Amino acid sequence: MDRLTSWIARAVFLFLYLPIAALIVYSFNSSEVSYRFDGFTFRWYAELFADRMLLEALRTSAVVGVIAALVATVIGFLTAFALVRFRVKGRAFFVGAILIPLIVPEIVLGVSLLTVFSTAGIPTGLLTLVLGHVVITLPLATLVLMGAMSSLDPSLTEAATDLGASPWVTFRRVLFPLLRPSILAAFLLSFTTSFSNIVISTFTAGVGTTTLPLRIYSTLRTGLTPELNALGTLLVVATLGVILAVGVSQMRRILAGPTTTP
Amino acid sequence: MNASSSARPGRIAPSAAGYLMLLPALAVIVLLVIVPMLVIARDSFAISDPLGGNLGGFTLANYEKLIDPVYLKTLGYSLGMALLNAVVCTVVGYIVAYYIATRRASLQPVLLVLVIIPFLTDFLVRTFAWITLLGSGGPFISLLRALGVDAQSLVPSQLAVTLSLLYAFLPVAVFPIYAAMRSIDPSLKEAAADLGAGWWQTHARIFVPLSASGLASSVMLTFVPTLGVFVIPVLLGGGKDPLVGNLIVTLFTEFRNEPLGAALSMVVLILMLASVAGAGLLLRNGARRNRSLGKDA
Amino acid sequence: MNKKVLALGALTLASATVLAGCSAGGDASSTGAAGDGTLSIYAWAGEIPDSAIEGFEKETGITVTVDTFDSNETMISKLAAGNSGYDVVEPSQYAVQLMVDRDLVASIDQSKLEGFDNLAEKFVDPSFDPGNEHSIPWAWGTTGILYNEACTGAPVTGWKDMWNPAYTGKVYMLDNMLSAYIAGLQVNGLSATTTDEGDIEKATDSLLEQKAILGGYNSTNYADLVGTGDACIAEAYSGTTSATAVENNPDVKYIIPEEGGTLWTDSFSIVKGTANEDAAYQWLNYTLRPEVAALVTDDASLASTNEAALPLVADQSQVENPAIYAPAESLKNSEFIVDPGDALAFFQDGWTRVRAS
Repeated sequence: MDRLTSWIARAVFLFLYLPIAALIVYSFNSSEVSYRFDGFTFRWYAELFADRMLLEALRTSAVVGVIAALVATVIGFLTAFALVRFRVKGRAFFVGAILIPLIVPEIVLGVSLLTVFSTAGIPTGLLTLVLGHVVITLPLATLVLMGAMSSLDPSLTEAATDLGASPWVTFRRVLFPLLRPSILAAFLLSFTTSFSNIVISTFTAGVGTTTLPLRIYSTLRTGLTPELNALGTLLVVATLGVILAVGVSQMRRILAGPTTTP
Repeated sequence: MNASSSARPGRIAPSAAGYLMLLPALAVIVLLVIVPMLVIARDSFAISDPLGGNLGGFTLANYEKLIDPVYLKTLGYSLGMALLNAVVCTVVGYIVAYYIATRRASLQPVLLVLVIIPFLTDFLVRTFAWITLLGSGGPFISLLRALGVDAQSLVPSQLAVTLSLLYAFLPVAVFPIYAAMRSIDPSLKEAAADLGAGWWQTHARIFVPLSASGLASSVMLTFVPTLGVFVIPVLLGGGKDPLVGNLIVTLFTEFRNEPLGAALSMVVLILMLASVAGAGLLLRNGARRNRSLGKDA
Repeated sequence: MNKKVLALGALTLASATVLAGCSAGGDASSTGAAGDGTLSIYAWAGEIPDSAIEGFEKETGITVTVDTFDSNETMISKLAAGNSGYDVVEPSQYAVQLMVDRDLVASIDQSKLEGFDNLAEKFVDPSFDPGNEHSIPWAWGTTGILYNEACTGAPVTGWKDMWNPAYTGKVYMLDNMLSAYIAGLQVNGLSATTTDEGDIEKATDSLLEQKAILGGYNSTNYADLVGTGDACIAEAYSGTTSATAVENNPDVKYIIPEEGGTLWTDSFSIVKGTANEDAAYQWLNYTLRPEVAALVTDDASLASTNEAALPLVADQSQVENPAIYAPAESLKNSEFIVDPGDALAFFQDGWTRVRAS
């Protein structure tokens, strides 16, 4: 049975990369229409690097994504820690309130955020974009970290405290190492959520802060261009390259001999 | 610390530090969630201006308008789709999370990142890639036709919608389940194996209960946002059966009827809050039972 | 756990950021103080070619920021919130009416305009904006039918063909209320700009009846569907998408239905209270020049409202392509789709029933 589920999991990874493979193939398609393959071309890559607006949108998305994900992960960590580790009053209220952004249809949240920002006199721009994205990524980060913390054996931190470690030392030496993969998970999930958000961005972006999905979504009426396949390909290949580089060196180290870490 | 104490094990009595840690989240929630929701609640009772603004005032007309078979039908269909998506995503997410969590520690982050990489490409670009793959020029149909099957394009179809919903929501299912599962003591699995527990028993008695919080998050994170989805039903489902997300977007944009959109949103919000609260209650009882069960194992 | 593992995540993101870093272009975070040498434009994607923007920047030294929106409605709600920071917007015809009613756009001082007489006659003093008081049309198009003759087997002439049960499952309508009602009204011989409840009711019935043979509603990739033959016949907008489909498949044709035609146009308007009014007028005058207006056809495959620009279009086959420039004779009875005003409620009730049935 374990073997079967392993195979299913591998099939799911394949499933995840199926459209990416299509994307890569079609980024070299010389045809302007997606349903036919006419031949090989680099034309879309050339057009991509000449597309000033698209690249600027990519930069905006990357900046907003990193900031929003960092903020969400930090706040999410504090919140999860407080909710899991302390007997705080109004815990149910907190959990419920953090979930609201997930429950409200995004367009509703977007429209009302715009109203709130304009009433408060905050001009739309990078700040409002980040705030809007923090709202929708905070529940994700918090839930992931709450899940990780609540199934963590509490005796570990208690032992550290009993041994006289300060809360900061306990966090740095015990909690953080144990939770590191989950923190990474929370950050990555927040980043991609922010990076791909359309609706909240529609209402919180301002002059010069059109994000990549906004830019792409607004081209729907005139049709998506194959240069977007080229952009997708580059993003995936660049990331995979980095991982491979890091992953391979790591594996070599493991093969080379005993490491100090488990 | 023991199971007989009324508080959850490991939870420390409230202190200034605990509340201090909640402050940033409290600020975000109050200023950027609760205040906007009050704005929407207020708008849902406002009189709509045919030009697209709202005239203020107080009326129940918006809610009365919602008692219409049209809205009820869409709401019902949406809830069904959301449930289906939550179940599919959570089951698949569980399998993937278990696979990752049982790999070598150094490999786990790599696999996690592999799950997330496809999502660096834009949502619409991915969706269009699916259309190309499942469409009549795509590999599946071409293959079937080469085999002599008279296959029609898979877009638009219910299958295409279900597949692309799974695709869109899989990471938010995998991550919380993985996060919960990772902290499970691996010796439990060995112990179960030593005691002769089979695969089903090991999962039913150890992994599922101990990752319950992750599973609950997964269900929540996939069920609720499905209601707000509006691009997938149109692009892959042909748009003949709108989800409630489509209706709300239409009300806010094309119909420029903010108050009616706000009223529909309030209905969805209250429905969801009630079901989350209900699920939370069920889960709390379940979790308490399972926790002691996990400790026994 | 290896420390490198954590670096992994950071590097993943770094690669995205590095790629983004390739982007040239200045920092565009200024919010537009009084006449600060910038111009912020909020427009439809793909309607202002980069070439036009670069030419304007080079000539005037003004830094242009262009943001794009996906619907008139989101653009209006951003502006209505106030303090948007935009100087020039590009609303469609009915959106001009809405923005005038909501006092979001400034009236244009005609004496400051140069080259206004370059505009084609149908865009001067249009029904949606008498005297062009608030808008200068830039690009235009039609709502018509895109069909695949290999699939229909015969030439398609009008909306009635979209009710033909022979094409069951292969008929697609635009996912847009007012556009769908163009077909629903005109197929019944009614005016597309009617505000009469009975007329709209009739159209609703026709659209409900049509739903049984529809493949779906689609405003995005209908041209691909027609190209592959997954759709035989689709309601379509003229412009880039339809033109590409026509160019890539000889069986694909774009027509204006014989029951009547409808026009849309996207115009430049000046945002009320802009701090960069001079730059905004410079932009209007720049885009009224024939050689600039021709770029919208050359680089964006859209029809230009500028009559004087037509001979300057580099690829004259574009001017001949009915999926870009609808032939004049087919537009004899054509009208602009204008805002239905209070009749919007009739359309909404009907459309809600159609969509959810």
